[in-house]
Amino acid sequence: MEKNDHIKRLLSGIALNNDQASYKELFILLHSRLKQFAYSILKSNEEAEDLVSEVFIKIWERRDQLTAIESPLLYFYTTTKNFALNRLKKQKRLQSQPVDEWLVQLNSVYFEPEQLMMTEEIVRKIREAVNNLPPRCRLIFKLIKEDGLKYREVAELLSLSVKTVEAQMAIALRRLGKCMHLEIKSISSVSLIIKNS
Amino acid sequence: MTQENFWVLISKKLSGEASFHEREELQQIIQQHPEWQLAIQNLEDIWKQQQSTDIMQSEDAYLLHLHKMKEMNLFSDNYSTEVPAIGSNRNLKKWNWAAAAIIIAAGIFGFIRITGSKDEKEILASHVNEVSTRPGSKSKIQLPDGSTVWLNADSKLDYNKNFNGELREVHLTGEAFFDVVKMNDKPFIIHTSTINIKVLGTAFNVKAYPDDKQTETSLIRGSIEVTIKNRPNDKIMLSPSEKLIVENNLLKEKINGTINAVTKEPVPPLVSINKLKYSAVDSTVAEMQWINNKLIFREETFADLVVKMERWYDVTIEINDPKLKQARLNGIFESETIIQALEALQISIPFRYEQTGNKIIIHQ
Repeated sequence: MEKNDHIKRLLSGIALNNDQASYKELFILLHSRLKQFAYSILKSNEEAEDLVSEVFIKIWERRDQLTAIESPLLYFYTTTKNFALNRLKKQKRLQSQPVDEWLVQLNSVYFEPEQLMMTEEIVRKIREAVNNLPPRCRLIFKLIKEDGLKYREVAELLSLSVKTVEAQMAIALRRLGKCMHLEIKSISSVSLIIKNS
Repeated sequence: MTQENFWVLISKKLSGEASFHEREELQQIIQQHPEWQLAIQNLEDIWKQQQSTDIMQSEDAYLLHLHKMKEMNLFSDNYSTEVPAIGSNRNLKKWNWAAAAIIIAAGIFGFIRITGSKDEKEILASHVNEVSTRPGSKSKIQLPDGSTVWLNADSKLDYNKNFNGELREVHLTGEAFFDVVKMNDKPFIIHTSTINIKVLGTAFNVKAYPDDKQTETSLIRGSIEVTIKNRPNDKIMLSPSEKLIVENNLLKEKINGTINAVTKEPVPPLVSINKLKYSAVDSTVAEMQWINNKLIFREETFADLVVKMERWYDVTIEINDPKLKQARLNGIFESETIIQALEALQISIPFRYEQTGNKIIIHQ
């Protein structure tokens, strides 16, 4: 989408002109979210910081190949994930690191109630609901909502099917909806009417 | 349609994954259940909430990273090509995004409320900043608190030199789009002749032309509180995507009432709240498009459009035919000249026009 196109433009600036301004812009654009993603695996701020730097060193070293990247956002997340898991392996901290043990922190639910037309009570419920989401569901929700990845990209990154991503997103949204007393018990046969007309 | 499917559809819609067919299907369901609309709007609002990214932190991290790169001899200073970035365009977008709310108000300039002794008043009066625009031109103003105001054609904005004191107050005649910096202890207040608008920190557009029939306040995001001058006890809280319309002149309204009765048009109430209509193409609202140099009109009468065109093109236009005045029009003018605009309108409704200097007369 738009985000990927923007990153592609920056990458081609780096690849074709060794453009440091584009490189810097790209770093600042992605630093915070990649760091958070790395943190969810490494569970250390310092290491996450170091890892993002490592990813960007690799980007510079391989800058002549950057224009060939199809989905840049996915590329950055995949690289970050692989580097982080490698690091864990080297440190022998854990044999394997299932997604369910990743620490995922959501940021965008910490808004002030007066920014939206909502009561404090609902905002509190929303935070609670989000924090109680199963880890994998929370990770998927974060990658799509806050980091702007597509369903397809998340599926590839986490080796899941797109249908699973769809279902996990539906779970997250249903829990949010519940906070606003939006409970869909049954839905009239509208869809049938559309199909028949 | 199962329950699960509804949530699949709504999450796909929010994340931009839904196909055209899926969006239509969801739309149909939602229309059948108006009681869900507020909750769904809330979900959309939450979805649009951006995480506040700490750019400073990222910039610091970049410096450290750069240092590491140089130590590894990966980066030399020779490459440096500081391109002035795609700045302006991007900034505008960012600004639009931040533009949380639009308020459109119409009326005449109200009196400046200054408390204190007479001497003080005189001193203060000489400390009023006034920015005004001529018909056909626009202006961008930076206020002392960092808030930004875009002033549309033929408009005026006043504020005290000590604006950044206890209260942030401005007076508006005409139309403006405000991007207000949030300060919890210092509300931002806009006075027009008919209404006062209190904002805590958000962005909005105010239209306050003396010759308009109505004061319109349209809110895109955030929340604002509106008080109507002759009804100081009524506070109206506006929700996102709502437009508050206040008739400027009750007396005029009564006279119009009889005419309305003849034409069988419903008499508009003194105060009404309508939903803003988002364009399906780019999800913008017509009320804020003047900032992007677009004059948008939807289902507007030719008579109302002509008033806008006069400001937009700095001309005088007269319609000599009552039927033409009532004709309803849709369209967008962007870079058209006044002549091109008139020619485009002639395609939807046949009319003739004569131009002498800055004056245009339209007739059958």
